[in-house]
Amino acid sequence: MSALEVGITSFPALMILIFLRVPIGLAMFLVALVGMFIVTDGTTVAFGRLKSETYTTFSSYSLTIVPMFLLMGHFATLGGMSNALFKAAEGWLGHRKGGVAMASIGACAGFGAICGSSLATAATMGRVALPELKQYGYAGGFSTATLAAGGTLGILIPPSVVLVIYAILTEQNIAKLFLAAFIPGLLAALGYVIAISIYVRLYPEAAGTRPRVPYGERLAALVQVWPVLLVFGLVVGGIYLGWFTPTEGAAVGAAGTGLIALVNGGLTRATLVDSFFVTARSTAMIFFIVLGAGFYNGFLALTQVPQELADYVVSQGFSPWLVLTLILIFYLLFGCLMDSLSMILLTIPIFYPVISAMDFGMVNLADLQADAAMEVIRNGVPEGMASDMLAQIKTAIASGAELTRDQMKALDIRMTRGMANRIETEQVAIWFGILVLIVVEVGLITPPVGMNLFIINAMDRKTRMVDTYKAVMFFVGSDLVRVVILVAFPSITLFLLR
Amino acid sequence: MHALFTGLARFMAILGGIVLSALILLTCVSILGRSLNGILHSDFVMGLAPGLAHWLIDIGIGPVNGDFELVEAGVAFAIFAFIPLCQITGGHASVDIVANTLSRGVNRFLRMVTEVVFALVLILIAWKLADGMLSKKGYGETSFLLQFPVWWAYAASLFGAVVSAIVGIYMAGVRVTEFATGRILVWDGVETDQ
Repeated sequence: MSALEVGITSFPALMILIFLRVPIGLAMFLVALVGMFIVTDGTTVAFGRLKSETYTTFSSYSLTIVPMFLLMGHFATLGGMSNALFKAAEGWLGHRKGGVAMASIGACAGFGAICGSSLATAATMGRVALPELKQYGYAGGFSTATLAAGGTLGILIPPSVVLVIYAILTEQNIAKLFLAAFIPGLLAALGYVIAISIYVRLYPEAAGTRPRVPYGERLAALVQVWPVLLVFGLVVGGIYLGWFTPTEGAAVGAAGTGLIALVNGGLTRATLVDSFFVTARSTAMIFFIVLGAGFYNGFLALTQVPQELADYVVSQGFSPWLVLTLILIFYLLFGCLMDSLSMILLTIPIFYPVISAMDFGMVNLADLQADAAMEVIRNGVPEGMASDMLAQIKTAIASGAELTRDQMKALDIRMTRGMANRIETEQVAIWFGILVLIVVEVGLITPPVGMNLFIINAMDRKTRMVDTYKAVMFFVGSDLVRVVILVAFPSITLFLLR
Repeated sequence: MHALFTGLARFMAILGGIVLSALILLTCVSILGRSLNGILHSDFVMGLAPGLAHWLIDIGIGPVNGDFELVEAGVAFAIFAFIPLCQITGGHASVDIVANTLSRGVNRFLRMVTEVVFALVLILIAWKLADGMLSKKGYGETSFLLQFPVWWAYAASLFGAVVSAIVGIYMAGVRVTEFATGRILVWDGVETDQ
């Protein structure tokens, strides 16, 4: 069997192991180990890699963000900020039709700004908001579905653990990805609010009413959320402005939320130890998958499968948009079965080379040159430039043609095809990352194994799972509409970066 | 027996948590030092109180030297220390949907095989990490800034890896016993419908 064939055979082998309930990290590790034995004809290479690979994977400076963000999320829970957020959102939205549900979404969005994990957001906000929804007569399935969907905002709104992993896998800038996730995250919250208002119009009996809150109280409640804004601003703003690295930002966030929890009396020895336990479990789970995936991708690279696949797809001349659509549909389907991190770690090293080899025409060389040229001309026509040269340049820009080398030399600008390609690659990587983030998140709220649904449903014994499934379809629908919009208009995701 | 191993796993998790917290604080101190250092070097402070500024810089107000080397070494230990708790509570991510349709006996068999293989993998990881440590020691490799021997960091991680392997072996024993006796000893949420 050739190396390529071994690589291709490894996919079904891996799928079988995973479906036999072998932990995903372990399954990838095993397949990679055996695959490497076969390809390199012995144990030397695989064992040699293992001598340093576990240590280097676990000691990765950028991946340190993951346990820090997880701890930050638990501290945020202990600090009572979930309560403050919900009270503020409820004050402003609660009296509307379906308003308490909308407030839950708003509070989830706020909590997502200081928590990088979807499950933690769902669990935390569920504890705060479910009793209130009950009290104001909201139907069980509608309430649980709202909170399950709201929980996904934990990852969609930066900071986000999944984005950190994506950034590391594709060697992209974490700060730029966080920034790019911001608008789609807000769109998600808005889409959920719209889904709620449609739902309560179709099923008016699903939502009760709640009296208006006077503006004085609303403002007072809003003031209470300042620690959230402070931590979010410090972490995301600080990372973006280059005050500190993403890892340092995560440390600042964890320390900040820890401090708030300490001041509010939520952080005691018992709760601290508890946070350690929860962080330990999730961290170990994630890193074992990271380890297995790293090992598996090392094996795949040995067999040249990702390279061959990318070459094949490009040589077939498929439309990039078709390929993108198929990949996103694949994620939507698989997201129903697998958790988001495993899926990203397993598939991005295979899909990303394909996507980045395609030309989405996102960046036009002539446009970039025109921008640079206009910039120069606006600052005054360079001395000694012949007037016919200026006229030529202006005609070229007006007709959308690329500038010649002489014209660029006269303007003293440099914008080559290589530079345009690099910009295109980066923008596609970021845009694709945000799209993947959204579609894998949908998996958290789609039956049969939507983790958020389980977590929230477990908090409310009286609601049947079926009712949650039915109501959550409105939110899934809102997600799908958003994906289509973001695919069709890449600039929604990218314009903050431009 | 189970209490003993759970205690061990929890102890490791707390140890890892303390190290992680220490790294968080270290990083914050380093950022604080760096910003203060920047402020002290600024024209404004230098013009206002040059003596004080120089004195503060001289006593070491600045970023912690080699902080990220400590973070890397520390976090590797913390993660190895987190594995035992995940192992003993069955916290690893897996896909249940197909396995749920299989019979109880088959599931118990699968769980046994999986856990035994997992234990073997954890032993392999610890063994190879020990090899890696010895070769780092042999080369006398040191870290770039702090110049501490790299094998120290490997040794700390090895401690966590060995405990993980021990807990892994214990869990394999548990699942073998479960398969033999048909009685679930350690519940981890997967077998609720059985």
